[in-house]
Parts: sequence; structure tokens; C-alpha cells
Amino acid sequence: MLAAVLSRRRSLSEHISMLYLQVLLNGLVLGGLYACIAAGFSLVWGVLNVINILHGTFIVIGSYAAYFAYVYFDIHPLVSIPIAAVILFFIGYALQSGVINKVVAAPVLTTLTLTFGLDLFLNNLLIVAFKADYRKVTLENPLGVLSLSGITVPIDRLAAMALALLLTGLLFWVLDASRVGRAIVAVRMDREAAALMGVKVKKIYALTFAIGAVMAGAAGSLMSLIYPISPLNSGIFLGKAFIICVLGGLGSVPGVMVGGLALGVVESFGALAFGPEHAVTLSFIILILFLLFRPTGIMGKRGFQ
Amino acid sequence: MKRGFWILAAIIVLLLPWVGNNYFIRLATIMMLYCVLALSWNFIGGLTGYPSFATAAFFGLGAYAGAISQGQGVPMYLAWVIGAALAAIFATGLGLAILRLRGHYFAIASLVVADVLREIVNSTTNLTGGGMGLNLPVLKLGVDAQAKLFYYCMFGIALLTIFTAAYVMRRPLGFGLGCIKQNEDAANIIGINATIFKTIAFSLSAVFVGGAGAFYASWVNYIEPGDVFDILFAIKPIVMVLLGGAGTVSGPIIGAIVFLILEELVWRNFLTFHAGVLGLIVVFLIFYLPDGILDLNYRRWFGWRKN
Amino acid sequence: MNDWIRKDFFRFASFVFILAGILAFSGPVQGAEKVLKIGAPLPLTGPLSPEGQKQVQGYDLWAETANKAGGVKVGSERYKVEIVYNDYQSNTPRAVQLAEKLITEDKVNFLFSPFGSGATKAASGVSEKYGMPTIAATASSEEVYNQGYKFLFGTFTPNPTLTEPLSDIVKAKVPQVKKVAILARNDLFPLAIAQCADVSAKKRGFNVVFFEKYAIGTMDHASALTQIRAAQPEWIFATGYINDLILIRKQMGDLKITAPVVTMIAGPAYKEFTDAAGPLAENVSSASWWHPAVRYKGIDVFGSTENYNKIFQEKYKFIPDYAQASASSVGAIFQIAIEKAGSLDRKKVRDTLAELNVTTFWGDVKFGPTGQIISLKPPVFQIQKGTQVVIYPTEIAQAQFQIGVK
Repeated sequence: MLAAVLSRRRSLSEHISMLYLQVLLNGLVLGGLYACIAAGFSLVWGVLNVINILHGTFIVIGSYAAYFAYVYFDIHPLVSIPIAAVILFFIGYALQSGVINKVVAAPVLTTLTLTFGLDLFLNNLLIVAFKADYRKVTLENPLGVLSLSGITVPIDRLAAMALALLLTGLLFWVLDASRVGRAIVAVRMDREAAALMGVKVKKIYALTFAIGAVMAGAAGSLMSLIYPISPLNSGIFLGKAFIICVLGGLGSVPGVMVGGLALGVVESFGALAFGPEHAVTLSFIILILFLLFRPTGIMGKRGFQ
Repeated sequence: MKRGFWILAAIIVLLLPWVGNNYFIRLATIMMLYCVLALSWNFIGGLTGYPSFATAAFFGLGAYAGAISQGQGVPMYLAWVIGAALAAIFATGLGLAILRLRGHYFAIASLVVADVLREIVNSTTNLTGGGMGLNLPVLKLGVDAQAKLFYYCMFGIALLTIFTAAYVMRRPLGFGLGCIKQNEDAANIIGINATIFKTIAFSLSAVFVGGAGAFYASWVNYIEPGDVFDILFAIKPIVMVLLGGAGTVSGPIIGAIVFLILEELVWRNFLTFHAGVLGLIVVFLIFYLPDGILDLNYRRWFGWRKN
Repeated sequence: MNDWIRKDFFRFASFVFILAGILAFSGPVQGAEKVLKIGAPLPLTGPLSPEGQKQVQGYDLWAETANKAGGVKVGSERYKVEIVYNDYQSNTPRAVQLAEKLITEDKVNFLFSPFGSGATKAASGVSEKYGMPTIAATASSEEVYNQGYKFLFGTFTPNPTLTEPLSDIVKAKVPQVKKVAILARNDLFPLAIAQCADVSAKKRGFNVVFFEKYAIGTMDHASALTQIRAAQPEWIFATGYINDLILIRKQMGDLKITAPVVTMIAGPAYKEFTDAAGPLAENVSSASWWHPAVRYKGIDVFGSTENYNKIFQEKYKFIPDYAQASASSVGAIFQIAIEKAGSLDRKKVRDTLAELNVTTFWGDVKFGPTGQIISLKPPVFQIQKGTQVVIYPTEIAQAQFQIGVK
């Protein structure tokens, strides 16, 4: 009540800077989630040189896993991430060793068309199984909203963003510190040399793809808190992943974080400046500009260095 | 022998509208539309080896160019030419920008262009009707006459595309494109101006698609951004060429026809799962027919079977 | 040499395969018993499939009810109703293609329009070309009916009939409303109705401080909503489909946006909205063309709104909303027209439809010169304590309009 009276007495410039601050905050929170969406996609693209069109559908599967875990077992989506992760690990590993491994060295057209065909199939399967209706995870005890002198942040989004960044950081740490991680990086840098050093390349490929799927599943679990769930969303997730990878630089985890945050902020301010209907176009135009003038992205590095 | 085959095929196509009902004619018109799309993609994808996903962008651009022109009173056939010309000009400009990219990056850039164009069309509501779509004037002709008219017009566009494709393949342009596909740097060294050749191929991949887009708008009398910029318009031609074999004239044509028949069969029989079946067909194609039906290598196929 | 023979063989084999395919599709379709065939091209898969399913529920209920009562009376004979469903995958060009297929190949007697204003408009060209009476169950925008066609009819009244009564109520009951914010989905119906809201608001002297469109598939509305919050409007008007509106309402809560009046079209009509939005749905207002609370006694096969609700609940175990009711009404209206005309002749039935002036469970049915219905009084309703209650028309009002959405 007091806050309402006080806010009305604020000056115009304060109002405007509050607006900008809120928009910035919106963008950052969104950006954290975006980073998680793109992390797995970037990994697969960077290491296997495969553009995984299935990534969007993987995210949706993760969302469904979280949804059903909540509806049938009362498990909070933030906690059910491991469930989604395990499911997606198996799906990813199976797909890769069974199907995609056969075309890993093939030209772009082949791999792209193949993953596209697989995605058509998997997505249709989801629609038949779960229907295209939008499901929503409605928490019994919502986490509420943090409010600080007129700027608001929904807590569940904040939590999701934190977890997203945490997971992405975890991925980075795994790649950097563990044996498997070093093997993956080695394969990325030089496949033949890695094979000569005793690395089972095909297994590493399968593992990498599976990790990518796991990240997607985790992102999906987090998403279930925020967005309605439907197989129809897969294309939107995929589009974001594309843009973030190019924006941030391919194959680098810090790049994904930077790219994600950048995209979130750009979309937020873009909607403010040009109207919400142009926010999406704006992000695509930025994608094209980056492709033309700085394909290595903001970070400017390729690979896991 | 070969020429006789083609003449026979042409006569059959000419007589087709008198064999079936209007729905059948509609299917046949779509078949020829697919031929145009497949042959056009072949210029940049099959001959030159650049995985372009821009077909959807060109189609939509041509559709809206034609529709807006007709809305301003331009006669229908001229509107189609405008659609074709605009698509070609756009492709030239776009090509100069993105043909420098290789592999994945080029694919993504060409893919994204359709989305960008779609959103631009969506926002310029005053010009394009935005999300509410655009209506085209209905011809003052009987239904049967209209069906046949559009059929023969599409046939004309298809013939143009076929002749251009055949012509290009027999000329230095076709040879040069093949060199670029094999090894672009080497091609540059032996004196082929890869940039010019690639750009020409890219424009060729757009001009007939743009005309077909404008034709499509006149044919269905109502277009929406989501429909004419649909990504499937980019994917299907690629699948068709994969089916029939790249690099020839008959390959894309056969691929287009077989694809349409498959599509229609799947659609009629799998009410809720046709997209999935299509996906399976694509996967199957990649594994078992990497060079298309026409180049099926029996021994290799049986070799796999034995393993 | 071997290669050449192999290539020739495959060319020939392909040719034969293609010829076979062509012949397989060009054959005429058998048929013709005492069956009344109605074509229903619907989006059974793809983004619009939830809407398509609702239409199926409505059509099926009508067909079942009509057949149970002995079928449709055509002169002295009785015809069994058969609905021919086809899926156009939420893809408008396919809807047009299907309309033609249903007319020429499946040889249906009459046609139900595809879903939504866009596809209806597109397919209406085909209906007009063939002189096929077509009724649209889900098309309200006047742009759909403005082509001078004679064979298209629709059971939704024009969009202003939704926004005008709503604006009257707001003006009368909520005097503190001065500023209005409008957020619209960039799609045929949501944008059209948002524009009508804009007109209705300005007509009553309200100040429209914000009017923006969001792209289809937008996943985050925080930016737009932040701007709305900064403008502090008293009336927030949002349009879109159910998943958009759930998201918008939730993000409004996240940003702590409150207003005396929040109106959303077209989500709140569905139970899914109240379920998903929970306490946030309280006092959200909306309008639609029908509500199970209306009470009409009609000459159609259902007899009355109450009976319709009863039969629907028996079959599907939940209360119908306007989407299914509209679909059923289209079937029922066709039946009335056919029985009145006493024949299946397309021109006769079309003329009967044009002159129709009857009452049905859906409401009064009279079509205007463009084919769009002009006799309905679309109800305004509000979500109070978790259920939808009708506020207008006053004859069937169940509660008073409540102010204040948190």
C-alpha cells in the first residue's frame, strides 16, 4: 500500500530506468534458461559435427517426464531432473549408436536430412502418445514472486535459471576434469590421433550424443515449470538453440552461456524497442549477421579450449 | 530411344486432364509443382553441392509478390513473371552474402531466411495482410476449365524448368558447377570463377520456384505467411532429389513423382501418423538409397543384406 | 553397357510404377446408398489438433443423435448421416485441397468448413466454385464473409458482437477505467478481435495506451507485459489461443500486474484455462458465442440447450463449451434446412439456409446477406470462484460483474 503511494510519486526518469532494469532482468533470467537449452546442442554440433534436429523434441520429452513425475508421483520438477536425464540418456545413446553413428562422417545434407527425418518420426510418436494439447505443471505451492522496489522476479524462474547455469557449469567441469571429458575433447580436436591414443571413438560419439540429450532433458524439466508443454514446441526450442550456438561460438560451453544471456537480453530489449512481434525476427536477423561477419561467435573461439 | 521416351511421356502428360476428375487434375498439378521445386533445388544442391534450404523463402517470396501484384490489378501471368523475377533478384543478393559460407553455416543461413521473410510479411500487415492472409481474385471460369487451365500453366512452367536444367547441364556452366562440387578451391585455381557460377546457380534455384509460388497463390486464391514459407517446401525438394538421384534431369523428376505418390498413399492410409511415416521414409532413403533410385547398385544392396 | 541396361530398366520400372500410381488415383469412387454424406476437413494433427478434436466431438454427437432418431428426413425417405473426416494437418493449403477432394472424389452432399477463419476463407473459394453449401462452425471475422459468396454460411456472429456488450458493461460498472492495454496474437482471429476491442474502447472514450501484437509461438511475454505494467492501465485485453493466454496470465502474476478488469479471448471459455491458471483465473472476463448456461428451446434434433448439455455429458463425461456446441449446431442446422427443403439438391438447400429463421439449442438462427449469422446474442462471462458465470445477456445472467484482478 505504502509502496503503491510512493511509486506514484517517483519521477519520470526513475520510472523509465525501472522499466529498463526490469526488462534487463527479464532478459537475464530468460537467458539462463536459453543457455541450458543450447548447451547439449552445441556439444553435439561441436564434437560430432552433427546438427541435431531432434534436440527440440528431446527437450519436450524432458518436459513430459517432469510433468508426469509431478502429476502421478508428486515430484517437484526441480527435483525430477535426474529422471528426465536418465530417460534421455538411454534414448540418446541408443539413437546415436544405432543410427546416427553410421553417418557421422557424411556431408551436412545427409546428417541434417537424417536427423530431420528421425525428428519427424519421434515428434509424431509424441503427438500420438500424448496428444498435441498443451499441458501445464501447476504447482500446488507456487514459489511466489520476489519484489524489490517495483522490480519483480518470479522465484521459480530464478530457481530454474540458477539450476540451468549450474548444470551448464557442471557440463563444463565434466569436460574439463574427467577422463571421459578429456576423451571427448580429444576426439573433437583430432579424431585419428585420439583413436591412435586408444580412445574408442564410436563409443565417445555415442556418449557425447547421450550427454547432449541429457542436457536437453534437464532443460525440458526446468521448462515444464514455466511454459506449457506440447510436442509442437520443439521447433521453437530448436530455433533458439541454433541462434545461441552461433551467437556464442560453437562447441564452447562458456560461449553457450554468453550466447544464451545475450539472446535473452536482446530479445527483451528488442521487444521493448520494436514491439513483441518483431523480437523473433530480430533474433534471426542477428543470427544471419553473425553468420556473415563473425561465425565464430561472440567468444570468437572454436572448440573446447 | 531416349528421345522417343520423353515425347511419349509428354503426350501422356498433355492428355492426363481428360482422364480423371478435378481432384486428380489437382494432384497432377501438384506433381508438376514438385518437379519444378526439385529441379530448381538441383541447380544449387545437386549440381553445385551447396545444401540450400532456401527454397521455402523463394517460394513464399514469389507467392506474396504475385499476390500483391494481382491485388493491384496486374494481370495474372504478368504477376507470375514478377514473382519469378523478384525471387531471382533476391537470390542473387542473398547469394552474394551467404554463398561465402560453407557446409553447416550455409545450410543454417538459408534455412533461417525463410523464417525472417515470414516474420517480415507477418508484420507488414498493411501491405501483406499480415497474419490475416491475402486473398486473390477468383477467375471467372467454370471449375473444370479452371482446373485444366492451371494444369497446363503449371506444365508450361515445368517445361521451362526442364529445358533450362537440360541446357545448363550440357554447357560450361554445368561443368563448372560440377567442378565446384568436387573441390571448390581447385575449381578456382583452374580458372572457374566460383563466385559467379555459384550465384548463377543460386538464382536459377530461385527463379522458377518464385514463379511457381506466384502461380500457387493464384491457384489457391488465399495465402498465409505460415503456409507459403513452410519449411517443408525446403525439405521436400531435397528428399525428392535424394529419391531420384542428383545431377541429372530425369532424377529429380522421377523423385518428385514417386514422392507425391508416396505422400498421397501415406496421407490416405495413416490418419494420425503420416508425418512419422514420412520421417521413416526419409531415414530409409538416407541409408539404402544414397544415390537415388536410378543409380541403385544391386550388388551393394545385396552385399548389405548378406552382412 | 551393363550400366546402361540397368539404368534403362529402372527408368522403365519407375515409369510403370508411376503409371500404376496414376491409375490408382484416377478411378471413380464407388458409393451411393441411402446415406447423407457430409465432408469434414479438420486439423486432426498439428498445432490446431486440440481444436480439431473439439469439432469432431460436436459433429459426432449430432450424427449419432440424428441417426438415433431415425436419420434425416428427405421428402418421404430417411437418410443415415455419415461424416467423412479428413485431416489437413493444420496446413491451410491442404484444407483447400481436401475440400476439393471431398467434393469431387468422395462426392459428399454438403460440407463443413475447416477450422478457423483463415482456412474457412481459403476453402470457401472451392465451395463457391462448385456450388456446395458450406457452413462454418468456427469463423467469426467479417473478412471471411466479404467476398460476395453465396454458398458459405457461419454460426459465429461478427467480432464486434463480442467486444461491444463487454465494453458497455465495463463503461457502466467500472467507472475508474480510463486506460486500456491490448495485447494480440498476430493471427487472423485474435488480431481481428483485438482490433474490434480497440474500436469499441475508443468509441466509449477510453484511452488505448498500448496495442501490440506478439508473434505466433512466442514463449515469453515478459517484455510486453513489463511495458503494460509501466503504463498502468485499468483494463487489460489479451487475445490468443488457450496456451498463449495461460502463459500471459501467469506472467502477469509473476510481474505483479493488477487491474480492475482483465479480459481474455478465447481461452477462459475452456475448463483447461481455469485448471491451469488456478487462483489467477479469478475475475478474468471473456465473451463467446455460446455458453452452456444459455437456455433456448429449439426445433432442432436436440430440442433444447439443457437437453444438448445432457446428451453431451452422457457421451463425453464433461460439459460442452462453445466449440463443440457450434459444431453440433452446424449439423443440426443442415438437418433443419434439408428437411425443410425436402431434398438434397444443393441450390434448394442453399436457398433454404439463406431464408432460415428458426430457434435452436444454439440460439436464434438467421443468416445475414453475407451468410454470417446475425441473430445471436453472445454471452459475456466471468470466472468467479473457479467457475464461469454468465453476466450478460441479463435474461440468463447468473451473477454480477466483479471488479479487480490480482
